[in-house]
Amino acid sequence: MYFMSELLWAEKYRPRSLDEVVNQKEIVDRLKRFISERNVPHMLFAGPPGTGKTTVAHAMAHDLYGENYRQYMLELNASDERKIEVIRTKVKEFARSRVVGEVPFKIVLLDEADNMTADAQQALRRLMELYSANTRFILTANYPSKIIEPIQSRCAVFRFTALKREDVVSRLMYICQSEKVNCVERALEVIYDLSEGDMRRAINILQAAAALGDVTEDIVYKVVGLAHPREVREMLQLALSGNFMEARKKLRDLMINYGLSGVDIVKQVHREIFNPEVKIPDDLKVMIADYAGEIQYRLVEGADDEIQLNAFLARLALMGRRLKV
Amino acid sequence: MYLSTQRLPWIIKYRPKHVDEVVDQDEAKEKLLEWLKSWEKAPPSKKAILLHGPAGCGKTSLVEAVAKTYGYELFEMNASDSRRKEDIERLAKAASQTSGLRARRKIILLDEVDGLDPKSDVGGVESLIEVIKNTRNPIIMTANNPYREHLRPLRELSEVIAMNRLRETDVVRVLTRICGAEKLDCDTEALKEIAKRSEGDLRSAINDLEAAAALNKKVTLETVKAISTYRDRTHAPWEALRKLFSARFVFQAREAITSTDLTPEEFKTWVNEHIPSWYDDPYEVWRAYEALSRADQYFGRIVKTQNWDLLSYALDMMGPGVAFARTKYKGKFVAFKMPERIKLLAETKRSREYREALAEHLASRLLTSKANVKSDFIPYLRVIFTNNPKYAAKIAQSYKLPEELVTWLAGPKAKDVLAYMKKTKK
Repeated sequence: MYFMSELLWAEKYRPRSLDEVVNQKEIVDRLKRFISERNVPHMLFAGPPGTGKTTVAHAMAHDLYGENYRQYMLELNASDERKIEVIRTKVKEFARSRVVGEVPFKIVLLDEADNMTADAQQALRRLMELYSANTRFILTANYPSKIIEPIQSRCAVFRFTALKREDVVSRLMYICQSEKVNCVERALEVIYDLSEGDMRRAINILQAAAALGDVTEDIVYKVVGLAHPREVREMLQLALSGNFMEARKKLRDLMINYGLSGVDIVKQVHREIFNPEVKIPDDLKVMIADYAGEIQYRLVEGADDEIQLNAFLARLALMGRRLKV
Repeated sequence: MYLSTQRLPWIIKYRPKHVDEVVDQDEAKEKLLEWLKSWEKAPPSKKAILLHGPAGCGKTSLVEAVAKTYGYELFEMNASDSRRKEDIERLAKAASQTSGLRARRKIILLDEVDGLDPKSDVGGVESLIEVIKNTRNPIIMTANNPYREHLRPLRELSEVIAMNRLRETDVVRVLTRICGAEKLDCDTEALKEIAKRSEGDLRSAINDLEAAAALNKKVTLETVKAISTYRDRTHAPWEALRKLFSARFVFQAREAITSTDLTPEEFKTWVNEHIPSWYDDPYEVWRAYEALSRADQYFGRIVKTQNWDLLSYALDMMGPGVAFARTKYKGKFVAFKMPERIKLLAETKRSREYREALAEHLASRLLTSKANVKSDFIPYLRVIFTNNPKYAAKIAQSYKLPEELVTWLAGPKAKDVLAYMKKTKK
């Protein structure tokens, strides 16, 4: 059998209905009760990334409305649509049309709601009240503490917990068997460690590893190394060793080959300095982090990527010299 | 006939009639002739030349002399005379048709293309690009300053040839020749003073000489000083950079950044490129970049708030801020090249657009945000696309990835992935 196409496994192995969801059992049970009563409150799904918040929201909508559930659901992502006006217009449009069928309401799924400012959340709260007659809101958030209290109090809050090691490993094992991929269990454990309980990331690593050959520990490390460009670390080390010109060249490569923005790069540098493999004295780490924050602020304010990053690298070159890294 | 010649301004009367009369500019001459020669067989890959240099260095004269010497018909159009899109199209397109069998070969000269205003000449640059792509005759464009952002497409399409400011001795030589032809009595000191004040602008030097001669048949240092003033000159970016880095006073550093045709924001790119070409001490490099970074921040705030009052602070940081980052004054010579970034800008922008487009394309299918696709999916897709083209092709097909996104993802393996995609489609 010759397959003409291949899906990303994160999509292929995503549970379609609540029955297929293997973790978060308590949450699933409560949601099933809502469905059987055809009565769903506003909800807040809170928990770390890759624990199934969005997947569960979709599975639930699927179970409520059937295969074509997406026409009854408005999907918004707060980190892509930062302007509350955009959200307001879309919700208004969506809520205006009446619901046909046996479920008397439609669903607005607002992903990553904790990325909204407090002001935007206030406006959101009014939207929730205004359209509560025929819409229900499902909000997802990594950090529920960043959701304002008036919204929290209007929602049934569900806490998604990080997936357990054995859950992730057995799911990965199941995928390997279905895909007829040779894998070593130890390699799957490594994937779990590297993905920090994020199922989506774990599956992505697995698929990339399988594309390279049998899934062994070595391959897994190789994939993760390839995926996260070493250039950022190399750039950092070049700058700290005082080689500003070479560091600047690396910076250009990163921007051209990977399409990274200035903010992406500053954030990655920030992550790198706290990586135990990168040997930098602790006091220097703090100074770099401080300057990284300043540079990111300047960028967000509308400054130029390359000039700001060059200033950053020049500062690193100077710090490196003084502390003889 | 005799009378009419007499009334001609000298700058026209003494235009070079033969290439050999063109002073200096040997390199530009050589390149230009070589390129013209390549047209004899077939149109070369670059069908236009962008001839640039400061005012009065002889760009137009060179082209005219070449045409006269080698028997070309010159179709001349001043881009700033008729800037409207329709005009350019009509004029230049008509000129781009092949001439009849017996007709003379043609050169199309588009003078002063940097006069095209990106705002009011809507479509001007675009239609020029079309003209160049379709031309059957050599096109030569001239410009004082080819580094304006809106000229980038023209730059990429053309062979860029630089002409330099004339040396003082060359200017004196031409002036002496004119003095002889006009039977004037000219002091060498006077001619030297004119040349000095012209700063390599032969046109202004000849004008000054003519003005001095009109006053008095004997051209002396005194007459010259009386009639000629230093002109407000614009500088090429590299000249302005030299002025900036070697400024001894704050006012010089400030003047330097506004002495080019570039906007301060465009000049910023030049400074960004060349801070480390001038400074080598890490402390100075950082101080200069920090100053530039502050300037850049002010520019960002100006754009955001439209508060143009802030421009003054931006210029302070970009000029004196960068110049006085030094710990010790150093006079030195550095050859300032065109910033890499101006060349790479298009590429960087494209790469970022592809990443964005891919995120947009996949986010809804994968039920996640674009930001998430960028951080959690694209890195692994890259691994697959650069390592397993066959498998990558299948994924590309399931998600109907357009060719340019596949190419971007697969990098060096792009050909392989696309080949597999074709195979499986059949």
